[in-house]
Order: sequence, then structure tokens, then C-alpha cells
Amino acid sequence: MTILLKYLKAMNNFFRIGLASLLIVSCSKKQDQLFEKLSSEKSNITFNNQLDPSKNISILDYLYYYNGGGVALGDINNDGLVDIYFTSNQGKNKLYLNKGKNKFEDISVKAGVESQSDWNTGTVMADVNGDGYLDIYVCAVVGINGFEGQNELFINNKDNTFSESAAEYGLDLDNYSSSAAFLDYDLDGDLDMYLLNHAVHSEASFGNADVRNKRSYECGDKLFQNDNGKFVDVSEQAGIFGGANGYGLGLAVSDFNLDGYPDIYVGNDFHEDDYYYLNNGDGTFTESLKQYFGHTSRFSMGVDVADVNHDGFPDIMTLDMLPEDEKVLKSSLGDDNVQMLKFRTEKLGYHYQYTRNMLQLNQGGNHFTEVALLSGVAATDWSWSTLFGDYDQDGEQDIFVSNGIPKRPNDLDYVKYYSNDQIKTKISTTKLLDKEALKKMPKGNVSNYVFQGSKDLMFKNRSNDWIENDSIISNGSGYADIDNDGDLDVITNNLNSVASVYINTTDKTSNYLKLKLKFTGKNTFGIGTKIISYSKGKKQFKELQTTRGFQSSSEPVIHFGYGKIRKIDSLVVIWPDKTYQTLKNVTTNQTLTIKPNSSRKLFDYNKLHPVVMPVFKKVPTNLGIDFKHQENDFIDFTAQKLIPYQRSDRGPATAIGDLNGDGKEDIFFGGAKGKASQIYIQNANGFSKKTYESIEKDSVFEDVSAVIGDFNSDKINDLFVVSGNGENAQNLQDRLYIGNQLINSNFPVLRQNASVVKTFDYDNDGDLDFFIGNNSEYNRFGSSPDCYLLNNNKGTFTIVQNKTFEAIGMVTDAVFSDFNKDGKIDLIVVGEWMKPTFFANINGKFKEVTATILPEKLNGLYQSIIPFDIDTDGDQDYLVGNWGLNSKFKASQEFPMKMYYDDFDKNETFETIVAIEKKGNYYTTLGLDELAEQFSGMVKKKFHTYKSFAGKTLEEIFDPKMLEKAKLYEVHNLKSGYLRNDKGKFTFVPFSNKMQVAPITSFVKSNFDSDSKEEVFAAGNYFGVSPYHSRFDGFSGALIKNEKTIFLGNQIGINLTQKAVRHLNVINFKGKKYLLITINNKEAELYEMPSIKQ
Amino acid sequence: MKTKIISIAVICLLFISCNKNKSIVVTTDDYHAAIDNVTQIMIHDIFSPPVASRIFVYPNIAAYEVMAQNSKIYVSLQKQLNGLDSIPKLDPKIGVNQPVAALIAHMELSKQLVFSEEIVETFRDSLYQKWSDENEEEFEVSKEYGLKVAERIKKWMGKDNYKQTRTMSKFSVHASQPGRWQPTPPAYMDAIEPHWGEIRTMVLDSASQFKPIPAFPFSLDKKSPFFKEVQEVYDISKEMVKKGDNSEEIKIAQFWDCNPYVSVSQGHMMFAKKKITPGGHWMGIVKIASKKSKADFAKTVFAYTKTSIGIFEGFISCWDEKFKSNVVRPETVINQNIDENWKPLLQTPPFPEYTSGHSVVSMCSSSILTSVFGDNFAYTDDTELQFGLPKRKFASFDAAAKEAAMSRLYGGIHYKAAIVNGITLGENIGDFIVVKLKMIK
Repeated sequence: MTILLKYLKAMNNFFRIGLASLLIVSCSKKQDQLFEKLSSEKSNITFNNQLDPSKNISILDYLYYYNGGGVALGDINNDGLVDIYFTSNQGKNKLYLNKGKNKFEDISVKAGVESQSDWNTGTVMADVNGDGYLDIYVCAVVGINGFEGQNELFINNKDNTFSESAAEYGLDLDNYSSSAAFLDYDLDGDLDMYLLNHAVHSEASFGNADVRNKRSYECGDKLFQNDNGKFVDVSEQAGIFGGANGYGLGLAVSDFNLDGYPDIYVGNDFHEDDYYYLNNGDGTFTESLKQYFGHTSRFSMGVDVADVNHDGFPDIMTLDMLPEDEKVLKSSLGDDNVQMLKFRTEKLGYHYQYTRNMLQLNQGGNHFTEVALLSGVAATDWSWSTLFGDYDQDGEQDIFVSNGIPKRPNDLDYVKYYSNDQIKTKISTTKLLDKEALKKMPKGNVSNYVFQGSKDLMFKNRSNDWIENDSIISNGSGYADIDNDGDLDVITNNLNSVASVYINTTDKTSNYLKLKLKFTGKNTFGIGTKIISYSKGKKQFKELQTTRGFQSSSEPVIHFGYGKIRKIDSLVVIWPDKTYQTLKNVTTNQTLTIKPNSSRKLFDYNKLHPVVMPVFKKVPTNLGIDFKHQENDFIDFTAQKLIPYQRSDRGPATAIGDLNGDGKEDIFFGGAKGKASQIYIQNANGFSKKTYESIEKDSVFEDVSAVIGDFNSDKINDLFVVSGNGENAQNLQDRLYIGNQLINSNFPVLRQNASVVKTFDYDNDGDLDFFIGNNSEYNRFGSSPDCYLLNNNKGTFTIVQNKTFEAIGMVTDAVFSDFNKDGKIDLIVVGEWMKPTFFANINGKFKEVTATILPEKLNGLYQSIIPFDIDTDGDQDYLVGNWGLNSKFKASQEFPMKMYYDDFDKNETFETIVAIEKKGNYYTTLGLDELAEQFSGMVKKKFHTYKSFAGKTLEEIFDPKMLEKAKLYEVHNLKSGYLRNDKGKFTFVPFSNKMQVAPITSFVKSNFDSDSKEEVFAAGNYFGVSPYHSRFDGFSGALIKNEKTIFLGNQIGINLTQKAVRHLNVINFKGKKYLLITINNKEAELYEMPSIKQ
Repeated sequence: MKTKIISIAVICLLFISCNKNKSIVVTTDDYHAAIDNVTQIMIHDIFSPPVASRIFVYPNIAAYEVMAQNSKIYVSLQKQLNGLDSIPKLDPKIGVNQPVAALIAHMELSKQLVFSEEIVETFRDSLYQKWSDENEEEFEVSKEYGLKVAERIKKWMGKDNYKQTRTMSKFSVHASQPGRWQPTPPAYMDAIEPHWGEIRTMVLDSASQFKPIPAFPFSLDKKSPFFKEVQEVYDISKEMVKKGDNSEEIKIAQFWDCNPYVSVSQGHMMFAKKKITPGGHWMGIVKIASKKSKADFAKTVFAYTKTSIGIFEGFISCWDEKFKSNVVRPETVINQNIDENWKPLLQTPPFPEYTSGHSVVSMCSSSILTSVFGDNFAYTDDTELQFGLPKRKFASFDAAAKEAAMSRLYGGIHYKAAIVNGITLGENIGDFIVVKLKMIK
């Protein structure tokens, strides 16, 4: 009756609004929205995770008060329809039986699965006893805030009823659980369990990272081995951490290194690192996060795993709480400051963590490269659950993210201004935080996000057109094919709202394949089975694990999307017992149930680790080169608070050449300020260090670039070193050392902050001349010093007067090369906030000709350049290393990144203001506190609250007239790539995105694989940025054979992740070539080059 | 009808002209209210203790300079304070109400110095309205003069190097040097105002004129004087725990906490517990003493001014030493070497340890207040009532200052040497100011 009334009312409104407009709306809605919400009226699902205010608990008493409940999805009665189980924090859990046609029946009471605990969290469906029916495990928080109860295991009685049997199985834990996963880690055929627990703030949960070694029953994670139906806690012997600082919120299981044994990833909130447990195959695990990951999410929440780039290795996404909206972003607590991060990593022993989502690309099981900023999935606000799935069935993984929080406790105005008044009233009234305090905290209701996966690591934000925008807070979520139409539907458990069922409308407009598994023994659902699909040259990899997202488990099914493809070439099914079978020519758009073939064979996991030639081999002895660069302890941001990145960490220099006249190549390594540069002389057995008085004496210089050559034409090599430190105005003189003893020789006074020296006989008079490129002066980031050409006249150098080299910009690299094919060697200079600049050599005099040769707007943050015919068309192209796309910087020709440079506050020191475009407006990269620290009065007087500042454009913060007077720098391009030579004119062609994960700082050209052609090896990474950007640590190096063939380091035996490479050199020793890699603040590395027998 | 209107007009006119002869009445309570207003804004805006001292001192000097013009008792500070050369002369004939002008100057400079200007404006506008109603002409001339003096003080203030210190480098943490200060739990904030020692002093020749004896050299040797003091901080705190929540030491520590920003975090939840600074506390004591001694308006302004100069000089000297010696806080040393779970009773403030700022500025203040109100001036301090802390009785300013100094040891945030040598530094500065500044004829 009431429904009918509502309907009539709705009809009435319908006509009032007008038929025409509604038709348009409904039309567009149908077309765009991939997910349609199933109404409660239709489905009978009324479950609502309603927090109970009468219980007098708030976010103040319990830090995870807003974490919400979970969802478990699976067919509990084997009728072919997926049923839904929801956990409620304080209310009754519910089990909905799927009756078909999107109708459900609440059978919670008669099924006996409502739970007895006071605070329920995560839930999993798994066939725990191996009888072919799904059981339900429910986690609870017990022992704080007066919460009573225990984790419960509801064993399926096969008649739509369950019996709580946790104690019988040894799983009746009464601690702070948030989630669990059932996996067969020891491959004995039955399901074991990993229990994820969360810490609470106590004195025991702070301090050094090694707190994790001291087991805490309440907070520590636990691993249980299934011993004939009894689950035995084996955590300690298996190497599982269980400390009071394990704020475990995210959990995913996958065989990350593809050795046949399932591994575990744990996402920990707050200061504790995430855990990466590699299964040793002998019942133990080795936690290896620091070795495999450069950095992780800081406030890690949900975790999911899928292969997003078709390389057959599972990648990882972890969620955090970085807001996308400027208004929220600039009024919320951000990352640590530089010094605090340093303290946490270097002193307390934690790994690098930053406040944003992370997408960790698995590089062949060797290491992970984090790309969330590049891929566009870094900021989804206060996020809980992430689910990879091919929702539009185009063959690419998409991402669903649930999110929202009722109150934002990290709101800066609340923290700094409002909370104080509340505290005062608290003192005078009661212990409980009153409602007034919560009222002051802004709401954090954010709509869920959906990203569409596409090629080249990119994700497109589809939140506005794939799902309906709402203000519902969603926590746990899972996917399942609820309506059996082949696509993946998504179900979310909502806080203080009815649960959402997103029905996927892709249906058969795009082809799919749904696979169910029936495995032998106790692991009836085949948890841990991997399926590799090959179709039209594209590889897709999936592994059956159900615990994913957040506090939830998805349907035990493997789902692939295929777009228009009707037939799949082959499916390789690798069973948990390491056997496999292959299915060929499988038709799409069907659900297949796969059973193990009796004639299946053992699978060779090595097949999944293909080796690409050539392979570099690290020389363990380094041939005696024990050089370790030690950067001096200096943080540029302490002196210049607003600069976008550092300057003082661009060393050391490396130069190769024969210094003692024995015909063998020796090595010069520059030292940081206070450390003498070092020289390694080659002998019959390798290299040994030799000290020179003149070099030792000059240890105050920070040497960033050097060349070896016969500069005074006496047939004995000399050494020329340029210095640049960015730390002070002293000790910057460039120096020439002559002869076997490297005696300091006269050189013109040159005291710029140098970045590069290149040598060539540009005037063809038989001796070597220098070009010296300089970067911004000390304490004047943004100044453009002059560069210098020095003419050599029999060992006497004089500065060539030429206005063309004045104030070129912040130069980083240069190359002498004949770019106009006139037989004379020209010069190209690259740098930051500038365009690659071409200087033509016209009869010994250089003239800038960039405008005619490279017309497009192409300012970048270039770090390196090398000539190379990458398109193999016979002319010289130039590879340019740039900043890459994996940072918060953003630049295009239409919306360049801007940097204003001036003494804005008139105190005789210069400042920079950097701004990037978002939705057509420019915003400062820095927040109110950072700007106020420098311009206290200027901004704090204008903006008294964070709310008033947040969302304000650059021009609203700073007087446009003031900005107009400043010097403006722009960047149009952040991609690395190459300048393609088309008959003497150049156009920029970017590399693919796997090359854009970090700045490329160095190139070297050689014939690495002894084929007929030369290749270029590229390396990079850089850490001199504030925690706002995180660290650019994921580039393992790359061998560039030609424009189409580029091998990443992990494919060719090189791993340069987490290393900031400064120089690459090829050095000859005993007739063999070696690749020498010089790294900032680390040991130099030597690799034997591959020699391929032909 | 017409007559009625005229008669009303006449009455009005009479009323106004009648008023005209009556001078605006300003009491000491108005001045106390202006200071209290600034103190409250500072709690909201969050200013660190040294910056707060600067926000107190310049408006007070401006007010004092107005009062000193043509005074039979008070002497102008021009040519007595570094760089303060001339103050606009006041023509006694133009009818300026000096207390009104002094308050106007005070409010004008306060507005310049705080962030939340609108709170000063609201406070000011209601006074302006009242004064204008009382005697518009007198108000206008007084305002003109008050603003002129404020303008002059502002110009002088602009050259105190504050602006330059904004751009100077942050404190560099070198966690590998165990004796060097490093950020402390729970917020691990950057060191505040590392260049405050470079702010222009007013009376002292230089920030290091009374440079304290060096701090004990860092040592983990149990017999070393440094480590003995570390152990003392730890032992006292353990003893206090034994004595319980009502021990005198706990009461003293809490009473003198004076930390403008105590950060509390609970999960994702964070709060700030904000209080007045040491300078703010001593401004409160000036108010108590002025009221108790029934000081007139001029004497009240004089007392505030001289005390705030002392506090200002005290912070510069103290900060100069702090960022030269860079001594590590007890919390860091105790956590790393004695007890990793130890927490001081008070939250460790974010700057180096030696010497104790509260000790220095409390002793400066007490020396100066004693010179103004006399020794053994007994009073009851209710300044901290607003933070839920009870009143405390003191027999003299000196007793209060010494208790404030000791509170740092009980609070677990300073070693004894920083207190003992901080007291000496404060006394030296206070006595020097008392002797050097000639403020009374």
C-alpha cells in the first residue's frame, strides 16, 4: 500500500516536471552509467550499518569508529546464485539469500548468522571444512571500549542454516581483528588462515620500528595452519610480525613472485610499514618490503591485487586518504615535513611512506615500481576499499574505490582552532567529547570512485559517468555476478545508509568469460588457482583469491573481459598443487566450471620468468672499485622553504680516462662537500685507489662534473673538475689539474654553481675547449646564471665573450654534436624550466638557433641529453631525459606549470612560488602553513582559517600585480623522449609511460649486446623533493635499442630502483666492456656487459 | 508643529554642546581589556612565545610614548631604545586625551601584529563609537595623534630584522649527533624561530651581552655532569608519580606550563590544547599588581611597557643561546638511554633546551615588577583560571619567578642547569633594564 502511494506521488511529480526533459535525462543516464543502483524496494536488501549513538562511543574513544563493516559474497546453497552477507559494527549481521531476478530474502535469523559480538568488522566466505559449501568467518574487535564477543566461524549445515563453531576450529579469537584471508600457504591441500589485527594508540605502539618484533596478542596479526580441522597459531615460527604497532587494515594474498607459493601483502595504517611477506615454500615467510618497494601508502587502508599491465605479474593497489578536491586538500593535514620524514626513516627505522594511494607495478617479481600519480589514481579522498575488475569488459582492469567518512578529524581548522574550545569545555564538564566537538568537524561524504583502465598504465576517472554521485559513505565492498549476466556487479556496505548494490549494465555489449573452479581435496573452490589467458597477442593473468578490497571477500570466481573477441586462443589453468592444464579455443560469453584434468602435468614456474637478451651481470667484486658517495647532510628546503626541489644533491662527478699514462682507463669520482674526490687507477687485477695531494686538499669543493683529457697538449692526460653545491657561495671555483701528479694549474675565475662540463675542439685548432653549464646560484633558486665557453690556447684557457651564453637558464647537461650536418660541431644545452637550446657553430662562433630548429613550446625539467639515431633513419636524433609524469607536477602547452621568482616580501632574499593548473585554474603546490612560514603577514593576515584559504586560486592568494612583476618560468613538458630529426628540424616524441616513472638523469651509448648497432642505456631516479611528491625511486634503468624496443632493467638483469643514478659510463678492462653506474649517496656499481655469441 | 521641531533641535543641540565640554573617561580597566583582548587573539592565532613577546611590546611602547608626552612623571623612551629616535611632539593646547590616544595607538599596533585583525577591530570600533558619542572632537584629535605615534613606532618596528628572519634557514636536524637538539614527540615539530637571536634588541647592546656559562657537554657517561642532570629529571618525575596527582610539584608544573600549542593526537583525531605564553602569563601578573596597587592609567601603562620590554629582551637573549648551544631535550635522551616509554609531564616545546625560556623571562619580569611595585608584593595569581587551573598565592614576584623556573624541571622539559643559569640570565637582563632605562623623572 505505502509503496503504491509512493509510486503515485512519483508519477504526479513526473508529469509536473515535464515529460520531455525527463526523457533526455533518463536517456543520457542509461548511456553513460555503467553501474545502476538496485533499489532496496526491488531487492529487499535493507541492511544498514547504522552506528548506535546511544552506546556512547565516538571517534574520540575508538580510532576506527568510522571504519564500517564488510561484505562477503558467495553461493551458500550451491543453487547458482550469489548470496550476500553483511557485517554490522553494532547491529545484527545479515545474510541475504539470492532468489534470482535481483530479489533477495533475509534469512539471517533462521540461518543463525547474526553474530554475538559487540563490534563486528571484516568477513570472509570460504569452504573452511572442505565439504563443498561456503562457510562464513566474521571478525570482531574485542577487549577495548567494553566490546565483548569473539571472532565467529559459521559452518554451513547445507540447509541454509549455520552452526557457530569457531572454538572447535581454534579460530575463536578475542582480539582486535579487522579482516581475514583463507589461503593454502603450505600447499598441503587445505585452507589455512591469515588474521589481520589492528593496533590502537598506546605507548607500546610508538617508537622504533622494531616494536613489530614484540608480539602483542590483541594487536598482532596471526597465521594459522590448518591441522586436520584445527587451526594452530604458527605466526612466530612462520616469521609473521605481531607487534603492538600493526595497524592492519588492508590484506591481499597472491603469488607475487610466481614461484607457486602464495605470498601476503598487509596494508598498515599510520607509521607502521606495510608488510610484504614472501613465502619461502617451507612454511615460513620473509618480510621483504624495504627490498622490493621504494615507498608505500602511509595511512594504508584497503588493498587489492591484479595484473594491470599484461605482463603476467600481479600488481598491487593500496588506498590512503589524499583528497582530490583542492578545498579539502588544502584544509587537511598533509604529509610529514622533510626533517620529520628523515627522522622516521633514518632514526626510527621505518620505510618511506606518503599520504596517497599507491599503484605498485610488479616488475617480474624482482621489485615494484609505484605509478599512482602517473596513472591518475593517487587521490580518492578518505578511501576504504579498492577492487580491480574489468567492469566494462574491454580487457583492461578497472578500479572501484569506496570511500567517505562522516567527520574529518584531520581538518586543520578543527585541529588548530576549534578543538581548543572543545577541550576547554571538556575540562569543565565531562570525560566524554560532546556533540559540539563533532559538529565542528567538517563532513567527509565523498562519492565512490571508478577508474577505467586503458593502455600504457593510464586510468581514466569515470566517477561522474559510470556511477551515480551520492553522499553515501561506503566501507567494505566486494564484486560478484549477482544477476548471472556475466559482468561484475559491486556491493558496498554503507555507514548509516542502506547497502548499495551496483548492477553492471555492460552485459553482452562486450565479451566476457566467467570461470568457476572445482578443485580436489579440501580446497574445493581452488583458492590460489591462476589462470593465464592468451588472445590476439594479449596476456591476461588472474588468480583466485577472495579476500580483497577492505574487510570483505568477493565471489570465488575468475572473470575476464575481451571486448569484441569471440574466441580465446588458450587458457592455462595452474592449480594450487602446481599442476596445470590448457584449454584451447574457448568461446567467450559463457560461464565455465573447470575441474582438474586427471592427466595434468607439473607446471614449470620458470616459464613465467622469461629472460630477455642481453643480460647484464653485476660484478660482485666491483673490480676493486669500492667508491661510496656520501652526500653531506644538507637539506635545501631548510634554507629556501618554497623551492620545488633541491639543488645540492646532484653529484658526484664521474670521469673516465688514463691518468697515469699506462694506456689503461682510470676513474675519477667527485666527492660531496667535505669529502675528497677519489681516483681509481686501473692495474692488471682491477682498480685501486690512489690519493693525490692536490685532490685531497680540495675536499671542500663539491664536484659535480669532470673531464679527463690532454688539455695542455703535452701528451699526458689532465683533469678538469667543476663544482656546484647549492649550499653556500664559497668553494665553487672550477679547477684544472695538470700532468701525472695532477698539479693545480691556473684557470680563469669561474665561481658559478656548475652542473656540467663538456669538452671538444670546437674551433678545430687541435686542442680541447670547454663548455661549462651552470645552474641557479646559492640561495637563489630561480636565477639564471651565464654559461661559459672557454677557448684553449696551448693549455691556457680564456673565456670566449659571447652574449649568446648569458642567462640561458638552469642548465643541467650539454652535448657537442653537429645537429645541422654542416660538418662543424654544434652545441645543445638542456636544463630545468627551459627548452632544449640549440647553438649552431658558425665558423667557430656559436649562435642560438632554437626557434627555427625546434619551434614548439617545449620547456621542461630536463636532466640529460644524448645523440642517438633512435628511429634508425640514418640521421642524428637526441634523447632527452626529463622529470617524468610520476609526480604532482603537471604541465602542458595549454596549461604550463608556472614558477614566479622575485623578492616578494622585500626582505632582500628571493623566493619562488610554483603553481599548477587544475580544472582551468592555477593553484599553489604548497599549502597555507608552508606559504605562511615564508610570507607570514602576507598570507596569514588574509586567510585566518584553512577553509578560507583552501580552494583559492593563485591570483586569489597573491596580488596579481605582484605576480606580474616577478620573473615567470614555465614548463610545458615533463615527459622524457627524443627530439626526432626530420631533415634538420626537430619534433619531440615522448617515450611510453614505463619510461616516465622517474626523472631520467643519465644516458650512455655503446654496443651493449655485440650486435651490429649501438644502444643507449638510460637511468635515473631522484629523491631531492619534499614528501609532497614522495620519492622518484621506481626506475630500474632501461636499454633503448630503438624507438620500438626498450627493455626495462628487470628484464636485463639490472635493478636500479631506490638508487638515484647520476652518471653512466662504459669502461674497458682487459679487453672487456663494463657499465659503471655512479649513484648519489651510495656505492658505485659495475656490471659486466652481455657478450652474445653469434 | 514647527515650534516643536525647533525646540527638539535646541534641546538636542544643548545636549550635544553640553557633552562637548566633558572629557572622555578612560579607566585602567580599558587598558587591561585591550591587553587581554590581544592575549586571547594570540591563543587563537597561535604565536610562539618569542613572537608573542614582540606582539606585546610594541603596542605597549606606543601607548607609553603617548602617555610620556608632556608628563611630569614619565620619561619618553626615544633615544633610550635602540633605533627609536623621535616621537611626534604633542601640543598640549590641541586637547588630546592622552589615555584615549594611548589606547588607540595600542590597538592600532596590535592590529598590525596579530593575524585575526577583525577581533581587534570589533573591540576597537565599539570603543570608538563610545568615545565618539562622548566627545567627538576630543576623540578625533586624540585619534589623530594616537595613530601618528603608532605609525612612528611601526616604522621603527619594521627595522627590527623580523622580516628578514622569516626567510632565514630552518634548523637543521642532524639525528646522528646525539647531543644536538632534535624534534620531540608527539608532533615532532620543526624548531621554532631559530633566528630569533638576530632580532634587534631594545636595551641590550647585543643578544649575547649576558651570555650564560656554557651548558654541560653532552655525555652518556653516568658520572658526567650532563648525564647526572638527565638522571635527575627522570628521578624527579618518578618520585612525582609516587606522590600522586595532588603533589605540589605537579601543581606547579601545570600552573606554569604556558605552552601556546600542545598537540594531542588520538588516531586520526588530533587536538590542540592552547594556552597563553610565558609572556602572556606575566602580562596577567602586571594586571593583578596594577589593580591591587590601584595604579593610575599612566602607571599601568608604564608597568606593562617596562615588563614587556624585559620579556622581549629576555627571549632574544635566551633564543640566541638556545640556537648556539642546541642542547638536546631530556625526553630525547631519556627515551634513547634510560626509558623508551618515558614521557614528560608537560609536552616538550619545539626548540633547544638551554637555557630555559620561562626562567629567563620570569626573572626579567620579576626584577622589573619589583622595581615598579616594590619587593615582597604579595598577590594571588588567577591568570590560569581560564584553563581550569586553580589560583596560586605568592609572597613576591621573585618567589613566583623562581617557582616558574623550577616548574620546568618538574615538567620534565629542562635540566637544572638551564633553570639555574636561566635565572641568572633573566636577573642580569632585568637588573640591567631597571638601571639603564630612565622612565621616571
